[in-house]
Amino acid sequence: MSAALSIKNLSKRFGGLKAVSDVTFDVPEKSIFGLIGPNGAGKTTVFNLVTGVYDFEGEILFGRRSVSGMRPSDIAHAGIARTFQNIRLFGGMTVLENVLIAAESSRKAHLFAALLRTPLFFRDEIAMRDKALRLLEVFKLEDMADEEATSLSYGNQRRLEIARAMMLDPKLLLLDEPAAGMNYGEAEGLKEQIRWLREEFSITVVLVEHNMQVVMGVCEDIHVLDHGETIAHGTPEVVKKHPKVLAAYLGEEEVDEAEAAEVLAASEKAATEKAS
Amino acid sequence: MSPRRALVFLSLVGIAIAAEFLLEKLIPDTAWRQLAMFAMVNVVVALSLNVINGMAGQFSIGHAGFVGVGAYTAAVVSGHLHNMLKTEDATFANSFIVMPVSILAAAAMAALFGLLVGLPSLRLKGDYLAIVTMGFAEIFRLVLATASPTAEPGTFSHWVSRLGGQQGYAGPDDKGIVQYAGPFWIVGGMLFAIVVSWRLKFSGWGRALRALREDEIAASAVGVDPTKYKVTSFVIAAIGGGVAGALLAGMRDGNPTVQPEQFTFMYSFDIVTMVILGGSGSVSGAVFGGIFVTVTVRLIEQLQRLDSVQDFRIAHPDFDLNALRMVVYAGVLIVVMILRPAGLFGENEIIKPKPGRDVPPPTKRGASAKSVSKTGDGKPSEAVA
Repeated sequence: MSAALSIKNLSKRFGGLKAVSDVTFDVPEKSIFGLIGPNGAGKTTVFNLVTGVYDFEGEILFGRRSVSGMRPSDIAHAGIARTFQNIRLFGGMTVLENVLIAAESSRKAHLFAALLRTPLFFRDEIAMRDKALRLLEVFKLEDMADEEATSLSYGNQRRLEIARAMMLDPKLLLLDEPAAGMNYGEAEGLKEQIRWLREEFSITVVLVEHNMQVVMGVCEDIHVLDHGETIAHGTPEVVKKHPKVLAAYLGEEEVDEAEAAEVLAASEKAATEKAS
Repeated sequence: MSPRRALVFLSLVGIAIAAEFLLEKLIPDTAWRQLAMFAMVNVVVALSLNVINGMAGQFSIGHAGFVGVGAYTAAVVSGHLHNMLKTEDATFANSFIVMPVSILAAAAMAALFGLLVGLPSLRLKGDYLAIVTMGFAEIFRLVLATASPTAEPGTFSHWVSRLGGQQGYAGPDDKGIVQYAGPFWIVGGMLFAIVVSWRLKFSGWGRALRALREDEIAASAVGVDPTKYKVTSFVIAAIGGGVAGALLAGMRDGNPTVQPEQFTFMYSFDIVTMVILGGSGSVSGAVFGGIFVTVTVRLIEQLQRLDSVQDFRIAHPDFDLNALRMVVYAGVLIVVMILRPAGLFGENEIIKPKPGRDVPPPTKRGASAKSVSKTGDGKPSEAVA
């Protein structure tokens, strides 16, 4: 399967701190991919590098296209949409307006059409509005279309952020901690929603998440970072039992390499058996 | 064009034409008529600065520079055009030849300078724009003011001195700039600026600017290019300033010159005040601010000419009345800013745009959720309602 996103030898340094160092992984097309790791592992930084917030060393390919040197807005227009760890909605604007902003870069009627109020401008606005309202409906936000975005409940704000991202017609959706602050039931619902998103829009989803219930339940592939470095990669079954992952999360001091390899081999075997 | 919009268009043109013939009767006093026209020009100036300072949330404090660029350009162009027409008086009919050309020239020149100033400074974050715009306006003014005809021929200073230096520019033959910008053009220009501002604000463009102002990172993550939007908005603001300059150059009855002293930092500051006082981002606010500041500044000046004030000045030579003018002015500003920190109108308007007129109507809900999903081109499959 071809890779929707492939990251090769990615590194990023903030002053003396190596936030991401020599990370390499491929996100298969139409998969749900998890990027996990303890706090400060560099997960969000990877998102920021992919979406062009910072420049970087190494290579990031979106399909066959390198995102290096592209501006965030161009990357978004090319088809990578994201949400933010700390929700970033446009305050002072309505729910509908928040979603409409994401259609701005693809609209056909440009500034002069807007100033002359040509028929194209109205057609464009109505088409955008139609699409936005339908998206809001999909995310069960249609009744709040005219409410101020920041007045919504936390869960609704998260959904609105995803709706806004989907307005871009993305091929790749990056979700930064979508389950943060959700209880068990909500997280279960989120799992369903993520799967549904992938099927409905046929997109690739990458999520950064701390909630293991969600990560292990929904991701097909997981890449684990710690202190900016790759420590594990594989299916949830493999990653779950990987000694380095356990060490990173639970804080074991010493990892017996031999024992680690043994456990790993066993779990991989189990995984392949399960698959076949 | 819908019948309603045609009606609005015709009535705006009607108002402008009526102004051409009726303003003299409405305001017989020349000084007051000049003040009214100056106020309307300032409305155009305030509306244009409102695009960059209000809607885009940047801070430009050198807008007088763009007004100046427009005024000088229009003065030169209209002067030469007038000579080519070979008529003595500035007739209303001829103004339809001279004004469009000089307004377009002024707008183009201001746009060019806007791009030169905006492109480098708006790519950077922070307050660079404020410093660069202030520098631009001062450089523009000082280059004109210090240009000397006694400088060596062939030098820049000598060349610029053809624009009159400190004394100001009075047309190609020094007989004064022909005054083509009658009430029709001033009122028409103001109405035009209001309509453009309104449409800019209530369009996707205005929405994107608001989003950028709220959260630049989130806006660029959904495809809004900050540099493009800011630079274009800045150029639009500069064009507005240039158009206002063209109107200003052609309406100075009795003193038909453009002078560097018209475009000092004080004027830039007045323009910023107009926008902030009225409410950053508000079209109504900029209109109000433009009129209010112009009239207030002039009223204070008029008060100083009163005999009693002059007597007071002679009796108390140490008392600086000019400074007092600023004290009064600043006092008004402080009071307004305490009572209404976001300006008189905030970001609101006197009338709200109704959906279906300026803003397209929300379409009926209930379309099937499935229709959002991709159908080859990634666009919703349903035809537009």
